[in-house]
Amino acid sequence: MKPPTLEEFRARAALTGLPLTPEDIEELHKGYVGLINLMDRIPSRWAWAAEPPHVFRADE
Amino acid sequence: MSSAPTNSPVVTDLTALSIADAGRLVARRELTAAALTEAFLARIDALDHKIASFVTLTADLARAAAKQADTELDQGFHRGPMHGIPVGLKDIYETAGVRTTGHSHLRLDYVPTSDAETVRRLKAGGAIILGKLATHEFANGAMTPDQPFPPARNPWNTDYQPGGSSSGSGAAVAAALCMGAMGSDTGGSIRNPAGFCGTAGIKPTYGLVSRCGIFPLSFSLDTAGPLTWTVEDSALMLDVLAGYDPNDQASAKAPKVDYGAAAHRPIKGMRIALARSWYEGVTPDMAKGIDEAVRVLRELGAIVEDVTFPDIWDYHICARVIITVEAHAIHRQEVIECPEKFGYTTRRRFQLGAFLTAEQYLSALRFRRKLQLDTRAAMRGYDLVMTANHWGAPDIFKEPQPIFHFLDKASLTMPFNVTGQPALTVCCGFGSDGFPLSFQLAGRPFDEASVFAAGAAYERATPWRLRRPTL
Repeated sequence: MKPPTLEEFRARAALTGLPLTPEDIEELHKGYVGLINLMDRIPSRWAWAAEPPHVFRADE
Repeated sequence: MSSAPTNSPVVTDLTALSIADAGRLVARRELTAAALTEAFLARIDALDHKIASFVTLTADLARAAAKQADTELDQGFHRGPMHGIPVGLKDIYETAGVRTTGHSHLRLDYVPTSDAETVRRLKAGGAIILGKLATHEFANGAMTPDQPFPPARNPWNTDYQPGGSSSGSGAAVAAALCMGAMGSDTGGSIRNPAGFCGTAGIKPTYGLVSRCGIFPLSFSLDTAGPLTWTVEDSALMLDVLAGYDPNDQASAKAPKVDYGAAAHRPIKGMRIALARSWYEGVTPDMAKGIDEAVRVLRELGAIVEDVTFPDIWDYHICARVIITVEAHAIHRQEVIECPEKFGYTTRRRFQLGAFLTAEQYLSALRFRRKLQLDTRAAMRGYDLVMTANHWGAPDIFKEPQPIFHFLDKASLTMPFNVTGQPALTVCCGFGSDGFPLSFQLAGRPFDEASVFAAGAAYERATPWRLRRPTL
């Protein structure tokens, strides 16, 4: 996934509903880009066997 | 902080006892809970200003509880090995009638009406609560000057951090200001301070210990457990903490195990998988300390073999996504309504989750399942996994602190949060800088017994528990 530029990130920040200062946005952009780069390690295609184990049960 | 009676040599010596030894003395009526409690209150009064480990001291309540404990013994009622043992609580554990702040301006005046289930269990086991301990804000943010209490400091060198987020718990136990302390561990928050402060500490299997009444950080990863000076003491604390709680949806109905007894089991023939690839890049002192620990475990009869596990960064990013999203969901309302009340690192860490998508969160959950299965497969034929606890020396205090501290180095503790396995921190010596070295032992889910057996056997065979920080 291509990390967003700071400008793109600003536009996205406006949609989060959070009251963010310009400094917040700059810091969050750095954190987000760092996280996104590491998230390349997470597979994007899954077999059924790897579905999350969280199962809704009507009897609980 | 209230004043305590004058210190004396005899009283000071009491603070160096292990829980196991003190518990035996109390049971035999050779030591009163009152004397033990006064010894710790005196030491806190004399030394805690150097490490700021307590944020709230409950001296009067502790004295009353100690008196009650002694009265019960007078009447022939002994609650077990924790009877009369003074402990501290990370300040995210709710305590009836005692403020629980999360080390945050947001909860400065919060006084719960009931105890966390773990606190109830500790009291039922006879433990004496000395007070509430410093933490990273809401078990997440770094300790920064914009928070209501000073940061806890590392008793081995107070210019350095004690690790976190159970920072006060690690500092207080190492400095002998309490015999045990409760911490919480979502990505290593028990084991980091245990490692940097040279104590033992166990992150139990996810679901073994109730989180009811503990401020959450990440529902699907949070665990609660003790930090103590010795491994056996952690086992004794876990004996009173473990058990099903219907009020914690993750709570498991696991069979009752005598962990204190398990800490005395022989380990001959135990098979340990060494996850060496995870800790390539630790300091030379740490690498040497772990090599030496492997040698000791082999001498004790364990079989230790190198085993390849999934990449450490896989666990790290998997859990970081989950924590970031779940923590945002928990704190979203307050980061919208009063962001200025959070510390500057905490606020940004909680805000970041707003930028992650549901698909990214679900992918991380799926990835966790895959890592859990792959780890189980790699561990087949082994009882335990052994690896380093941390990379080297703790961080020095400086401002500003990194906001997203998790981007530069993979956490060595995170794998066992991802898999849910129990993981114990064991001190294995000291570096040339004077800071403790330590390794982790992780077991199969709900096999804390094997973890304690190996950790305690190692401790008994080595001299590291004889060295304490000087304040």
